[in-house]
Amino acid sequence: MLAACFLIIPLVTAIIIGLAPSRAARWIGLLGGLATLGWGIVFAILYPYWSQVPVEGGELAQYWPTEDTWNIVPLFGIELELGVNSVSLLLVLLTCLFAPLTVTASFTAITERVKEFYIWLMIMTASVLGVFIARDVITFYTCFEVSLIPGFFLVAIYGGPDRREASFKFFIYTFVGSIVMLAGLVYVVMEFAAYEGGWLPETNGGVNVWDIDALVTFARSFLTPTEQAWVLLSLMIGFAVKVPLWPLHTWLPLAHNQAPTAGSVNFAAVILKLGAYGVYRFVIPMVPEAVVEWAPFIALLAVIGIIYTALVCWAQTDIKKLIAYSSISHMGFCMLGLFALNPIGAQGGILYMITHGLSSGALFICIGLMYERHHVKDLDRIGGLFKTMPVWSFFMLVFTFVAVGLPGLAGFVSEFLCLLGTFIASDPTTGGYPGMLGPWFGIIAGSGLILGAIYMLYMVGRLLFGPEQIPEHTESHEGHRLPTDLNLREILTLAPIAIICFFIGIYPTPILKALEPASEHMLTGYPAAIAAHNATADAEDSKTTTIDGQTMSFVTND
Amino acid sequence: MLSSLGTNLMATLVSAIPVVGDDAAHQVQTIPESIVPATRPTDLGWAGLILLLPALSAVLCGLFAAFRVKNRLPGWATVLALGGSFVMVCLLYAHHDPNQPVVIHLFDWIDFSWAEGGTFESVRANFALYVDNLTIFWMLFVTGLGTLIALYATEYMDEDRGKGYARFFGGMSIFLLAMSCLVMGDNLVLLYLGWEGVGLASYLLIGYYYKKPSAVDASKKAFIMNRVGDLGLAIAIWLTWMNFGTLEYNGIFQAVDQYLPQAADGTLATATMGAAPLGWSAHLIPWFLLVGAIGKSAQLPLFTWLPDAMEGPTPVSALIHAATMVTAGIYLIARTYPLFWLDKMSGGGALVAVAWVGGLTALVSATIAMKQYDMKRVLAYSTISQLGYMFLGLGVVQTYGACFHTFTHAFFKALLFLCSGTIMHGLAGQLDLRKISGLRKAKGWGVTTWTMFIGAMWLSAFPFTSGFFSKDAILAQAFVQDGYGYRFLGWLGIITAGLTAYYTFRVWFRVFGGKELRIEPGPEHQGDPSTFHPHPPGWRCKSVLIILAIGCFLAISWGGEEGFGASHWIYGMLAHSSGAWGLPLHWHAGDPTLFGFDPHASMYYVSGTFGVVGLLIAFYFHLYNRKAANNLENLLNRSFATRWLPRALERKWYVDEIYNALFRLPTWLLARVLYLFDRIIIDGVFVGGVARIPITLGRVFQPLQSGILQGYAATMAGGVTLIVAWVVWVWLSKAGG
Repeated sequence: MLAACFLIIPLVTAIIIGLAPSRAARWIGLLGGLATLGWGIVFAILYPYWSQVPVEGGELAQYWPTEDTWNIVPLFGIELELGVNSVSLLLVLLTCLFAPLTVTASFTAITERVKEFYIWLMIMTASVLGVFIARDVITFYTCFEVSLIPGFFLVAIYGGPDRREASFKFFIYTFVGSIVMLAGLVYVVMEFAAYEGGWLPETNGGVNVWDIDALVTFARSFLTPTEQAWVLLSLMIGFAVKVPLWPLHTWLPLAHNQAPTAGSVNFAAVILKLGAYGVYRFVIPMVPEAVVEWAPFIALLAVIGIIYTALVCWAQTDIKKLIAYSSISHMGFCMLGLFALNPIGAQGGILYMITHGLSSGALFICIGLMYERHHVKDLDRIGGLFKTMPVWSFFMLVFTFVAVGLPGLAGFVSEFLCLLGTFIASDPTTGGYPGMLGPWFGIIAGSGLILGAIYMLYMVGRLLFGPEQIPEHTESHEGHRLPTDLNLREILTLAPIAIICFFIGIYPTPILKALEPASEHMLTGYPAAIAAHNATADAEDSKTTTIDGQTMSFVTND
Repeated sequence: MLSSLGTNLMATLVSAIPVVGDDAAHQVQTIPESIVPATRPTDLGWAGLILLLPALSAVLCGLFAAFRVKNRLPGWATVLALGGSFVMVCLLYAHHDPNQPVVIHLFDWIDFSWAEGGTFESVRANFALYVDNLTIFWMLFVTGLGTLIALYATEYMDEDRGKGYARFFGGMSIFLLAMSCLVMGDNLVLLYLGWEGVGLASYLLIGYYYKKPSAVDASKKAFIMNRVGDLGLAIAIWLTWMNFGTLEYNGIFQAVDQYLPQAADGTLATATMGAAPLGWSAHLIPWFLLVGAIGKSAQLPLFTWLPDAMEGPTPVSALIHAATMVTAGIYLIARTYPLFWLDKMSGGGALVAVAWVGGLTALVSATIAMKQYDMKRVLAYSTISQLGYMFLGLGVVQTYGACFHTFTHAFFKALLFLCSGTIMHGLAGQLDLRKISGLRKAKGWGVTTWTMFIGAMWLSAFPFTSGFFSKDAILAQAFVQDGYGYRFLGWLGIITAGLTAYYTFRVWFRVFGGKELRIEPGPEHQGDPSTFHPHPPGWRCKSVLIILAIGCFLAISWGGEEGFGASHWIYGMLAHSSGAWGLPLHWHAGDPTLFGFDPHASMYYVSGTFGVVGLLIAFYFHLYNRKAANNLENLLNRSFATRWLPRALERKWYVDEIYNALFRLPTWLLARVLYLFDRIIIDGVFVGGVARIPITLGRVFQPLQSGILQGYAATMAGGVTLIVAWVVWVWLSKAGG
């Protein structure tokens, strides 16, 4: 039951909110969120592999309390399994962190249909946590899909003026994507069942065909390259929409922009991570040969996304939209790191999920707090807030620089590792580490560092600094009396994230060491797949060997 | 010890010295002495206080700001912390064996490994300090000047107490913390942390007056232009890992050591390190390091952020220009000199590029400085120009001269900026040369007048000042070292020396010279200008100015030539660091010749003459006969052929405008075009088009229904049906069979 509590606590909270009077809803939500976070911390303390390298073999880095399996449909051998490894544990912690913070960020902002709001929030937390603790395909997929429903209602009921379009677009777009993904998953499961000789553990010798790790190991070894390519395509369509990878991103700016603060925070901080986590959990370990073949193409989309959306950010005047677009740009770095297919990039890509969650979630909270006061999020109509809101501005600056990737803050560690991993993943003649990307990907994506600074400082320069410009307040907007600057509740909402950002920025080593076995596990099939790929390439192009000497030599000027 | 070191060096040098005019193909192929591998003593952990103290004062300032402290506590906390870290640096110096670099591990930062965990199998970038003479040398003036500038700022920022006082000193602390990380870090990533950290600090401090749009723009510009250079540095770091499999200086230096013999005999192409071959990309590392250095040290073509950085309070300018930030580029190249040397040995041209960047920058920014009216702007361009000299020194294999010049420059430039700060402060923000005259006659301004005079003498490299010696060390080397166009660059440097003396004394003669006191108060003065009295600086400012002036004098003997009571302290500091490393650092009389004399001797006369001539011209036009300056300008303006010149100089050769047209505007336009593309093409045509298919189908099958929502619903239903059908089909054909 250890892991299942991550589902039970938020769901029970949701039920209690439903039964209790609506003015208590936010307090119950806060308690439930805190309980979830507390359970996350307990779980993290129980996790035995923070400082020691876990056991070799298939159970590498898995923490799997044995009682967390339920044989729910014996006929098909569907057995639910819950558990975490270091990667999913970190994402669980990220989600748990935002469980109470989204509640406190909405404390005064939500005034109508309050009960429902917190119920949906709790369901969202539970479903996302379900994805991260799932160790079987059924739980994974169910939670993956269920998370759409609270997202849909949060946008559709509590969103901005375009909420109808935004919510439908969000729902349909990601739903269609994940249906395609389901097809791929089901295909692999069926192949697996056929290979093992049956669905039921009784008939196939005790194999749980729904188990993700078993499935991945099977697919890696027994799928033909053609099959791998198709599986890659179907899985990537599903996950790329969630990540989102350019050009499948257009649902995101609209949904993030129209969602209420808590919705935007959840979207940016955790929902996007579902896609990246899927890539980490399924795509890369499952189909190495296809990934080696297609990694440059996917990385190309990521690089285009980084540059393209960074530029689009610069053209925004709506702050929320700007940050929404910046998420697309940032997740491009994460994808690059993962598809660098070496330990450095993998570490960076995985850590990037966490750091991006922290920075973009916090930025959305900041904007939400400001919006609650001024009811404007258009850079042309508001600016120079530093004078009246110094505390808020301080947090805004901190998270801006986390997003920009300033060393010493969380964003840098992951971004640096992603880009280093991408840069060195090249053919052996340039030195470095075998891989499919290489310096050009690194350099072009690296120019995103400059563009990132441009659009973020453009935003901060107008919103925080410069001549003060505050729109007139209308009577209807004065519902809750808030102080000009942040109150204690709001400071306590932002401060933990800021502290964690500093901590990860200065002392990421325990996390990196814990992630290392997991990222190596993800890359199990790769040295072989890349070597095989290079061998084929060499055989096809025998010229490479003859000019080898020249490409390696230093320029001499005699 | 030093003398024996000197003999050793000379032995190496004599065989290596090229005769001037020798065939360039027979390039120097000296393999320098190996850098001693660093030891890892465990008893030096207290050196971490050098970083911890400014970090603490930054946190304290943050708390003071949060609790709205209205007194001078933030200022004094910062002064104490910086002073404390200066003392710690001195202690470290006392404990340090000059021949033995040490690595002091503080705590893990980024540290993980896989496989066996060796090179190419780990990423190690920890909070650890690499301490050799170069580190200590740099830290001494960084923390020393930092402390003095902070002390000065406690008075200068007094009016802001309770408003931005704590914020300002917090920024100062971050600045010094970042600079200390940059200088002391034992790996390139920690250097990068400091590198970006000074960028952040400058962003916060340049934008200190955040209500002024120009200050906000300047801070943004500084950060973004620096980021361009930062990307270069980042690429260099990635390339370093790619080729050497490590990011720590110690590992890099040892690896370079192994490769040097092969570089010298031309077999580097086949060199391998462990299993991995040294890639061709190793050749690019120094080039990208240079890009990084150009950004941070404001060289051509990334120099335009530095003059705009004037928007910050004056102590910040002093800090940026003298001790921190811009010297980082020089430090970077000196620190990674082995990589440049490896490149040079194998025939690469990175050092030549360094020299060219430096020489051209020195000249171009000196020409701009001649026509600026804002005192601080003149000084800003002079910084760029002097940094150009330092780059030239690095490029012509004179790291000693470059570092010596950095050192002397730090003193006199801090002095000059702090002097102009007192003027700005006392004259209600007035900095325009045309509106101040005869300030030396005002009561209480003696200290400013004469310390600024010393600063001006040192900057214009008047004979026998320290600026004179350090500049000549560089220029003489340019004439004796082999390299593409070095002698041409040497001449550029000499011409620049003349211009420098001119523009420096133009400021001093205009502001302090003149028969009577005449001042228009600046924009901060309210009321009748005729009743305005400049208020002179207080004891803290004055004492800082005097200490700095004394430092200027001391610098002569610390680094000067033999025969002037020199102790060669700076030379000793440079030797046996990665910046010197047994290279031809320092030329003694009797070795090569220039114009038939010892190169230094010739250079004393040549550049000394140019400097004095520049000074005399300034004296004529700006003190003796000020009308002549106006006449000259009118003369230039009269003809179309020459009218462009003063304007181009005043508009800094239109570099900002060119950058706007070439980079900013196209990017800005592209951003807007892409946003339209995103909405119309990708979201409209592509996504909307796909969403329209089910609508169209829906129209065919259900003519009564229409609308986008139903379309989505239809997609959903259709999609689900198709998938389910397909799943069932697969199921039947596979599992069932």
